[in-house]
Amino acid sequence: MTTEEIRAGDRAAEDARERVLSALAADLDAGFAELYAAYRTVVFSTALRVSGRRPDAEDLTAEAFLRAYRALTGYDRERIAGLAPRAWLLTILLNVWRNDRRTVARRPASSPLEAAPDPADPAEPVERTAERHETGRELAGLLALLPEDQRIAIVLRHVDDLPVAEIAQILGCPVGTAKSHISRGLRRLRELHATTASSEVPDE
Amino acid sequence: MSDHDDLLTGLAGLSAEPPAGLIDRVAARWVRVPGPIGDVFVASTDAGVAFVRTTDSVHDDAAAFAAAFRDRVVARPLLPGGEPPAGVLPALRTGRTGDIRFDLAELSGFERDVLLAAATIPRGEVRPYGWIAREIGNPKAVRAVGSALGRNPVPLLIPCHRVVRSDGATGQYIFGPAAKLRLLGTEGVDLDALRH
Repeated sequence: MTTEEIRAGDRAAEDARERVLSALAADLDAGFAELYAAYRTVVFSTALRVSGRRPDAEDLTAEAFLRAYRALTGYDRERIAGLAPRAWLLTILLNVWRNDRRTVARRPASSPLEAAPDPADPAEPVERTAERHETGRELAGLLALLPEDQRIAIVLRHVDDLPVAEIAQILGCPVGTAKSHISRGLRRLRELHATTASSEVPDE
Repeated sequence: MSDHDDLLTGLAGLSAEPPAGLIDRVAARWVRVPGPIGDVFVASTDAGVAFVRTTDSVHDDAAAFAAAFRDRVVARPLLPGGEPPAGVLPALRTGRTGDIRFDLAELSGFERDVLLAAATIPRGEVRPYGWIAREIGNPKAVRAVGSALGRNPVPLLIPCHRVVRSDGATGQYIFGPAAKLRLLGTEGVDLDALRH
């Protein structure tokens, strides 16, 4: 990614933040609709790729947005104006997920990791869809094998395309630590990817 | 490092849109529809109708309706739009509540019992507060029945206006005693006869 592309991404993120915050300041409910529209994809993608299960991701996303709204009803103007809504939402989401997991850990395991592929894009040729699903399913499955910190950092950096500083803020760690989670996670993913790939290719 | 690039491209492709209806598990929807004593605002969640107010009672202001909704029901965003929930329009037109789905999750069991008993009173008829108390197996709770009816989140659809005092006086109403009289009048209740 070029510096210019990075700057364009940051600018778009900043524009979205300003649009959402001014909508929230004008009217909490209409502002919530803007908040949802701007961040539903990043919140749902994170929920899906961190939890690995689509029904869980839907529950987590709904719960995170509901908690966000309830928090907003208690915030004054100044607090809303100072929000970094994307990092704030993702922090809420990950808290909900960690709490849920603690509850689930006390119950017997239910279904196995789903690692479901995305629904087909009608504009995409069938063979490309199949290929993408293959890669997607495999990668989503491999993500589940990473330690929690690395998995979250990888999803935020490479699925959601967040800047490292924002990831550090969400994880509540120094930037250096976030970078190290990302690079270790990538190294591990590459190893896992290579192992899966070689096991699929017969020896010559 | 094409492996590396494949990996990053693959990860970027894992971004996913939530299903279209997911927002309705978070936000309630409001619509404005005609009612027996002027238009009404109706708010509903994915579980059913949650909150009803005449437009008169909130100064014809959707924002005031949203604020009242927020105060009464556990906080949920309230967005405009969507279709009126099934059964609401005919119920407001005919006074027959039928099988509307209600979201009464915020209420106590007692309050729910009171409202479900009130929902059985047919159009054109009235019952005293004590009748409800007896119906729910709590004959001494006449006052508590009055309070529960006063907190009915879905008036008009659950016809708490059909509950009156045993001496024939019409009693209190969420939208005021005058609205109660008007409403019972439109339903053909002989108000003079009640006082004898």
